[in-house]
Amino acid sequence: MTRTLHRAVRQRRLNWLAWVVALLPLLAALPFAGRAALHEPAAMLNWLGRLAGISALSFLLVAAILSCRVPGFDRPFGGLTKLWRTHHLLGATAFLFALLHPLLLSLAAGGASLGAAADTLLPPAGDRGSWLGWIALLAMMGFLAPSFAFFGEPRYQRWHSLHRLAAVAVLAALVHTLLFSRTIPEPWNTGIWFVLATAAVASVAWRLVFSRRTSRLRYRVERVARPASSVVELTLRPEGPHLAYLPGQFVYLTPYDESLAAGNREEHPYTLSSAPAEPCLRVVIKDIGAASRAIQSIQSGSEVRVEGPYGDFFPRRDVGSSELWIAGGIGITPFLGRLRQLAGARETLDAQLIYCVQDESRAHFADELARLVASVPGMRLTIHYFCREGPLTRRFLQQHCPDFAERRAYLCGPEPLQRIARDLLSAAAVGRQQIVTEEFSLL
Amino acid sequence: MKKVTFAAFVAFWSSVLTTLALARMSPPEPVTAGQRAEFVYTLQQVAGHASEASCWLAIEGKVYDVTSYLPRHPAPQTVLLRWCGKEATEGMRTKGYGAEHTPAAWGLLDEFLIGTLAPES
Repeated sequence: MTRTLHRAVRQRRLNWLAWVVALLPLLAALPFAGRAALHEPAAMLNWLGRLAGISALSFLLVAAILSCRVPGFDRPFGGLTKLWRTHHLLGATAFLFALLHPLLLSLAAGGASLGAAADTLLPPAGDRGSWLGWIALLAMMGFLAPSFAFFGEPRYQRWHSLHRLAAVAVLAALVHTLLFSRTIPEPWNTGIWFVLATAAVASVAWRLVFSRRTSRLRYRVERVARPASSVVELTLRPEGPHLAYLPGQFVYLTPYDESLAAGNREEHPYTLSSAPAEPCLRVVIKDIGAASRAIQSIQSGSEVRVEGPYGDFFPRRDVGSSELWIAGGIGITPFLGRLRQLAGARETLDAQLIYCVQDESRAHFADELARLVASVPGMRLTIHYFCREGPLTRRFLQQHCPDFAERRAYLCGPEPLQRIARDLLSAAAVGRQQIVTEEFSLL
Repeated sequence: MKKVTFAAFVAFWSSVLTTLALARMSPPEPVTAGQRAEFVYTLQQVAGHASEASCWLAIEGKVYDVTSYLPRHPAPQTVLLRWCGKEATEGMRTKGYGAEHTPAAWGLLDEFLIGTLAPES
């Protein structure tokens, strides 16, 4: 128990570390404000405008560093989805700083004249440094518009391809900042940007070049099982080295099947449902978008590439505590993987699984779950049917798991169910560190 | 976060377009330069003002006393101080790395005009 509690605390610290690193250039610049910046309004606006500019770049670079997706790198941050939540918030902060930067500089110039304010926003054609700033800002608007749903919820692939504009934004912003470098004195200025930019370039290079060569493993689809009309479970046989992973982790899977209506050669994240000791990988895929719909008809024998593993759902070692698992719909997948592992290794675990589904037809893997639970001493399974019982309630939890508030809780499922479950657990005084969640929304 | 970023996005373009529209519609600013142009200084006289206490710059045939502006200049003071008492056209035109100062900066310079530079004999 102590070990897992420590782990949860450390995870939170590492996410904070990203924010601290992103704030470093701002902190380095603060002591060099100068007298005027503290006493004259125009000079202060100019100073704030420049601070906003360097913060926009540093937040952008740290967000880029966090996007590297090196397998294992995500675990100290609490898994890839939590790491991406931080990446997303850092990107949003960078964008807000980048919008403030020219406005504050223009306001500062407005102290001289309205023309000077306008000239700051629309610099002469020869002012390459300022125009690079505009290129960076417009590229940010382009690649962040889908992330923040400026023009409606985006399709995954459009979001994915537009996000490549981030490289343009980072490069233009970097050159722009180095051309105007006058806020942080040397050698700090060059030192800070060199370290952050090198880490960001290494991170993006890993993602775009090296990860494709070194960490994508070749598998072949051996079997396509259909537990329901909109769900498939693919069994993948390794063609070379086999992936080492923990139950409940997920992978990025790229299918190579020309007959697919969508998503051929596109990578998408799917959760592993197999036990790590199995000779093959198994992934469960529910039809929720164009690519996951098309892959329902993938042909046996076709090649796929697998990159991973990612995620940090279950603890690395069993710590002997009792557990409460709450799964919703396809969110059963990580629990299925853990159960298969426990059953295969003939382990025992004091855990109550509450599997929330709409009705009997959506209770995927119900028969296998019942068999697995019966073979793991200490495990219990209760299925909660929404159509009969409505949303999950405290009464239901108490009825089927009287000591639920003393257990470490693992939640995986759609957002509304996670919210209800978190509220019920909080109301029963279960601490936040005792609740582990896995989210699948990537935006 | 989506609402905040979208609100900021709209506010940004509103501010930019309002500033540009107002600047376009406002009457041209009166020209104040050249009022003190009757004073003529040699480069030796300019060189006598090469410190933070008194900083003169010779730029494109004109002489400016920028002492009072030194603390307001955006670059660290050392950047500007090394041009004090000298022919500083290069500094004004290139900022030391090939980038021109903005028209706003050139306009600001007029405030500090104190005379013209005597032609070298």
